[in-house]
Amino acid sequence: MPRIKKARVAIRIDMTPMVDVAFLLLTFFMLTTQFRPPEEVDISLPLSHSEAKLPESNTMTVNVSDSGKVYLGFDSTILMESMFGTQNRLRQAIEVKMENLGDLLMKARIANPKLRTIVKSDEKAEYGKVSDVMDILQKALINRFAMVTNYTNK
Amino acid sequence: MAGADVGGGGGGSHKKHGKKKAKKRVSIRIDMTPMVDVAFLLLTFFMLTTVFRKPNTLEINLPPDNKTEVKMAESNLLTIRCDEQMNLYWNIGFEIPHKFSFSELRKFLQERQKENPKFVVLIKIDRKSKYHAMIDIIDELNLANLGRYSLSPMTDIDKKEMSKATI
Repeated sequence: MPRIKKARVAIRIDMTPMVDVAFLLLTFFMLTTQFRPPEEVDISLPLSHSEAKLPESNTMTVNVSDSGKVYLGFDSTILMESMFGTQNRLRQAIEVKMENLGDLLMKARIANPKLRTIVKSDEKAEYGKVSDVMDILQKALINRFAMVTNYTNK
Repeated sequence: MAGADVGGGGGGSHKKHGKKKAKKRVSIRIDMTPMVDVAFLLLTFFMLTTVFRKPNTLEINLPPDNKTEVKMAESNLLTIRCDEQMNLYWNIGFEIPHKFSFSELRKFLQERQKENPKFVVLIKIDRKSKYHAMIDIIDELNLANLGRYSLSPMTDIDKKEMSKATI
């Protein structure tokens, strides 16, 4: 019996759906990529083995820079506005004086009692400054706070 | 039709005659390959750069106020001091401090933990020292399961104690 010869056809796959999906993903990733917001202070974090995650919402962050300056920031623009005025609503953190920090913390806690406190300090910051900040936190009855570190497994 | 014939035979010569010729409609096919290439390139770029990395945190609980007093046996008190030059000193109870360094910290704490898991650690860090000293010490204490520690300010008495240190 003679074999039936199949006619060879050039295979043409329709790429349209794939390209559609590719573009969809592209737009998704482009829109969700959050470029790091401009930081008020450049802070290099110390390393620790802690695996606890940073809370994402309802946070107030006390930044201590390596030169010992203290910055206060909130994650919500509403709170930023009510604390530091409309012109500062989109900023990450505002430099505050040590002596005002306690009052500001209290005020913020009254505005939003669910606020969680984060201390973000440069690894090279003077310990004394951080110790002062902790004293202020203690006086403001904030007994629980998180210190930001980068993870290391060494 | 004649015009078409002429045009067909003589290349572009028909233009000279000034005759209008209906242009042939060709279905436009743009090669999409480069665009799709670029799209995929961007896609991979964004997929790879989207990091869901968040910094971690070290939780600290402070006692409600400065007046908290905890009574405990002297032999359970381990004091770790850190001076300006980031040298560490340790002593149990009221012993003379012993000098050691951050690189020995982990081994040291593990040994102490085995010796007596009930140790309460008192951390005293010089104000002029660096912040990461505190993080390092607390982190190592957590690793060594010595969960009971407290921070207290360094006084002149502590400085005098440290100057008496032995290696």
